[in-house]
Amino acid sequence: MTYITIEGLHKKFGTSTVLHEIDMQINKGEFITLLGPSGCGKSTILRIVAGLTDASSGKIHIDGQDMTGIQPKERQVGMVFQSYALFPNMTVKENVAFGLRMQKMNPTEIEKRVEEMLAIVHLTEKADAYPKELSGGQQQRVALARALIVRPKVLLLDEPLSALDAQIRKKLQADLRMIQQQLDMTMILVTHDQEEAMAISDRIFVMHNGRIAQSGTPTAIYTKPKSEFVAQFIGHYNVFTRPTLEKMMGTRLPGEATKFAIRPEAIHLEQRAGDVPLQGTAKQSLMSGNVIRTTFEGTSTFLMEQLHQGEQAIRIGQSYTCYVAQEDVIALS
Amino acid sequence: MKKRSFADLFFLLFVVYIVLPVVATMLYAFAGKWNKTILPEGWTLKWLATLFQDTAFIQAFGRSVLLSGGAVIIALLAIVPAIFVIVLYFPKYEKWIQAAVVMVYSFPGVILAVGLIRVYSQFGVPMIVVVLGAYVIGILPYIYQGTRNSLRNVDARQLLDAAQLLGASKMQAFRKVLLPTVYPGLFAGALLSFSVLFGEFVLINLVVGSRFETVQIYLMKKLSTSGHIASAVVFIYIVLMGILTFIIAKLTKQAKGATNV
Repeated sequence: MTYITIEGLHKKFGTSTVLHEIDMQINKGEFITLLGPSGCGKSTILRIVAGLTDASSGKIHIDGQDMTGIQPKERQVGMVFQSYALFPNMTVKENVAFGLRMQKMNPTEIEKRVEEMLAIVHLTEKADAYPKELSGGQQQRVALARALIVRPKVLLLDEPLSALDAQIRKKLQADLRMIQQQLDMTMILVTHDQEEAMAISDRIFVMHNGRIAQSGTPTAIYTKPKSEFVAQFIGHYNVFTRPTLEKMMGTRLPGEATKFAIRPEAIHLEQRAGDVPLQGTAKQSLMSGNVIRTTFEGTSTFLMEQLHQGEQAIRIGQSYTCYVAQEDVIALS
Repeated sequence: MKKRSFADLFFLLFVVYIVLPVVATMLYAFAGKWNKTILPEGWTLKWLATLFQDTAFIQAFGRSVLLSGGAVIIALLAIVPAIFVIVLYFPKYEKWIQAAVVMVYSFPGVILAVGLIRVYSQFGVPMIVVVLGAYVIGILPYIYQGTRNSLRNVDARQLLDAAQLLGASKMQAFRKVLLPTVYPGLFAGALLSFSVLFGEFVLINLVVGSRFETVQIYLMKKLSTSGHIASAVVFIYIVLMGILTFIIAKLTKQAKGATNV
């Protein structure tokens, strides 16, 4: 069931167009991610949905209601900001209770709801602390609790985890996804971190220069990128022109595509039935956790990723014949 | 080592140069007989007592507080909301405030006084009101910097956005979130402005003179009649400024601490 509809959203700042006719349909309870580099317009979409920025043209419907002319406070939209935007003059409890106080809810009910929400974000013992007394991760959890407690129809997350260190970020990603599923909340996350997007989203909208470059499930986006931009933005894809790849493979590629992408982990050293060869000399090998990324130089440079294999490490300077299955050669539009 | 000794000596001379006149004035405010000795021969509270028994001083003090405090309150009511709106919603116009701030510094007091008298005397506007208006504009740099720094310390626009998304009106967001957050910085700016105006002499003396005797004009008069009384006035002035400086320093620290989010 479509819960949020964005139709023909267009936004100009002066003479510069930051959003070009954006269309999106989001279902209730979905976790959507707008993924893209800085300046691609993803945060602007969030601000327009929240009512904090006006669209130049286009319509937004939330739960069947046209949002045109509706003030931010009346949209029932929650938002978590990258800088947390916690009120420094209020304690954790007061920050979380703020939205309910604005609704003039009875104080006993506010107390009860705040306690419940602080328990969900594991901050009960910090109820009386001020924001400056909390770590970055704790502050972000307060911001999340403050936005969730008013039970918004949709929660917007504007790069909420980007200021945190890697370990806390991963923990909060998991927490965020768990809370979203627990509350069946519709959430829209903005991030430039493709790993974060892949880890927690139901669907991803990859954005580029104010346009949606591709949308789909994380698996679909990762395994079937449609363009060179998506292929390179979401992973370490190898992108080749048709003549280069045909020369490397020694075979004619089907279709009309001018560029092709190959996932680095689809390249391997053992030949399997139907594989095509790629010749190259190992130039650099970097270990990232249990994955080894090796750069080969042949007709063109390409990257291979393999799990760490102890003694069978790649020797730098040695020539290798690598292999890739034909179905892993993805034609780009 | 030699370099260090020279630096220390230079610093000591500098401190003596700055502090000695102040210390001497303070001592003179409590000195009994002090003619041929390095330090006073006796101490007395007579000059302070005389000062506080002088109705003219009490009235002058009251006028200074009224004039400086009035100008600060008007500036807070009129200028601060304008700065808030411009900084938060129309940042492209901020350059005009900055230009106005520079212009305030560029007018010497004497020229300003002559200009004010020539322009406003023909309209029958009471000159004390003219001085009050000039004071309001004169403290623009302090009020602007105090407000601007407070807003810069917090992401004011985002705090307002967050409050509004949680159901607050613009006015509620301003009153319940932004104002308490920036209040220490604003108050520090206000106190700084007050202390600057409290010590202002050129404009009030040239434009109004003894018709509205402030502490500075009173001090000027006493300089020719009693050095001890004049020193006592300076002593009270320094104590007052010391208290204000202490409060400003405390508030500035508090403002930085509160926004360390």
